[in-house]
Amino acid sequence: MTEMLLTCKQVHTITADVRTFVFEVAGSEQLRFDAGQYLTVTTEPDGIPVTRCYTISSPPTRPRRIAITVKRVPGGLVSNWLHDHLTPGGTLRASGPQGQFSVARHPAPKYLFLSGGSGVTPSMSMTRTLYDLADPADVLFVHSARTPDDIIFRRELDLIAATVPHIRVVHVCEENGPVESWGGYRGRLDLAMLRQIAPDLLEREIFACGPPGYVEAVRLMLPAAGFDMARYHEELFTVPAPAPANSNGGGSFKVELTRSGRTIACDSETAILTAAAQEGITLPASCAQGMCGTCKTTLVAGTVNMRHNGGIRPREIAQNKILLCCSTPLEDVVIDA
Amino acid sequence: MFDLDVAAIFAQHWLFAATDAELPEPGDYVTVAIGTYSIIIVRDDDGDVRAFHNVCRHRGARILNDERGSVGNIVCGYHKWTYGVDGELRYAESQAPGFDPSCFSLKSVHARTLAGLIFICLADEPPADFADVAARIEPYLAPHRLQQAKVAAQVDLVENGNWKLAMENNRECYHCSGHPELQCSLFPIYGYSESDLPPVLRPAYERYLHADAEARTTYEELGLPYAAIEELDTRPTGFRIQREPLDLAGESFTADGTAACKRLLADFPTARLGRLTLHLQPNSWFHVLADHAICFSAIPIAPDRTLVRTTWLVHQDAVEGVDYDLGTLTKVWTATNDQDATLVARAQLGVGSPAYVPGPYSPTELQVEAFCNWYTMRLREHLWR
Repeated sequence: MTEMLLTCKQVHTITADVRTFVFEVAGSEQLRFDAGQYLTVTTEPDGIPVTRCYTISSPPTRPRRIAITVKRVPGGLVSNWLHDHLTPGGTLRASGPQGQFSVARHPAPKYLFLSGGSGVTPSMSMTRTLYDLADPADVLFVHSARTPDDIIFRRELDLIAATVPHIRVVHVCEENGPVESWGGYRGRLDLAMLRQIAPDLLEREIFACGPPGYVEAVRLMLPAAGFDMARYHEELFTVPAPAPANSNGGGSFKVELTRSGRTIACDSETAILTAAAQEGITLPASCAQGMCGTCKTTLVAGTVNMRHNGGIRPREIAQNKILLCCSTPLEDVVIDA
Repeated sequence: MFDLDVAAIFAQHWLFAATDAELPEPGDYVTVAIGTYSIIIVRDDDGDVRAFHNVCRHRGARILNDERGSVGNIVCGYHKWTYGVDGELRYAESQAPGFDPSCFSLKSVHARTLAGLIFICLADEPPADFADVAARIEPYLAPHRLQQAKVAAQVDLVENGNWKLAMENNRECYHCSGHPELQCSLFPIYGYSESDLPPVLRPAYERYLHADAEARTTYEELGLPYAAIEELDTRPTGFRIQREPLDLAGESFTADGTAACKRLLADFPTARLGRLTLHLQPNSWFHVLADHAICFSAIPIAPDRTLVRTTWLVHQDAVEGVDYDLGTLTKVWTATNDQDATLVARAQLGVGSPAYVPGPYSPTELQVEAFCNWYTMRLREHLWR
């Protein structure tokens, strides 16, 4: 692993809240890495160093430059700093590359890349690599986005799929976009949908990356299909590691649990249930995927970002109910738990 | 006999189970107990009504234990098996590799809505004639727009009698002199012909003839179907429907016959529409008026106990205390139901005596005869199956 200084060469707007930052590695012609590996990036948004991991979205077959692709996250300290401050000529400290999540480590004749949201980046790096190398491997690229407007790298993927017959691209959207209504697969990826998209999924090496709820759902549905999990690889695109202990600025908010009488720290990318568990507090919960509603509780103060899977109704949300397993804080919050 | 009634009648026929108004939003549910069955009726994410057996596919636990409520998904409280409101198993913790959730959906029950009323059928193959019955009664019900109604009140009354006694009591007005509140506005003459009218009912009958002629003119002007259709014992889904006038002001079941709710169920030019009356075999009856609707169902609990559920519907925008007074709205049928409960309990006690020998029906009790005829035929068909 090497420490490096990256100089921004170009910024591409990919969707309304996703940008690609293209870098030159200072003092070296090229960076050696495997498609799917990530860098650890350090920024100092408020004068305090904060680190985040970002997958290199560019392929190693284009070695003179590296790129990361970043989605703006509500309350996201690093992602927002990158979006708001990093322009061509700016620099960034980084270390890496790291990670085992790569087709280079698990070669196979047929792949299934499953990604949700900005978890698309390793799939994209791997797909670009296989495409550049004219690799004969069969690739099925399945990406879940909220709306058609949120599909990352859509035109480039269309081009790749149109150019080579053995790379197939399928998008799944939860709802229509403000402009485009969606005619393709709709909703959350489930086993029935996946079987329709990939009837031969048992023959494929599977790589899944996305938000925790997405990856957990995939991990649970595959054994149900009889899939050999030795050929399954996953990566969460959020950083599970807690912020440095001495740092109060790592996107961290205070979560007060009124019934437990405890106050814990939780950053904007960690579900409150997860943060509580890390502090040794076991709260009633079961599926941890926003489905069963066991962790439903009242939000007494503050706001959260909640991405549930049907375990709560609009009427309950209107009554300040939240599911702790899929709610991340957007500010300091007080919870009846 | 009780178990046979559940198996041959209640598990084989279309049953009125709830009103649309009880499930206004996706995730809203009611549970209905029929014998040892428990059924979940839930509005799904597409706004459709679905019904499932209330039995977890894991180890059989009763899943939803309240009579009504709202759920995100349907979650068994025992081991948190989680089903979507489409009945599909969405989550089961810690299952072995190879576990296929698609094999463990909730067992579904046939459900359909008809002009704001929800019907279920427990049979694998429900009586096929319901579609025909629905097509014939829907034009009568539809103008009242019960889909846009809300529940103003629902009262469960346990009658100390067999469900068949509760039904037989409902299917005649021979006993209606025992219902002083009801007799204010209801013409208590059904089943009677002019020749067998008792003198005491003669004035009411004269008023009825006058009101009926006037009502027909109104119905025809408004395009409201009113002709009686009576097929109570000639088909599996036996029914009777008719629109006819009410006495006095002719608008509603109140002491003076005026509307109990100022906000009518639909944009009718007059509240004076009398009552649309619907009887369905085996266990329900309805009075649908211009200003409100009353839905009744009788559900067997035990050989000598029957749940009679009464649901009052008003327009969803009607405001209690402003458009209607709840006491006024419910007064007539609360009193009438209580009186009926007393009569049914007395009948249960009497027919339980070894000395009981059935007496002849009056000609006015022809619907009781039709009910019994339907029942025995359906029972016979079940036993021969």
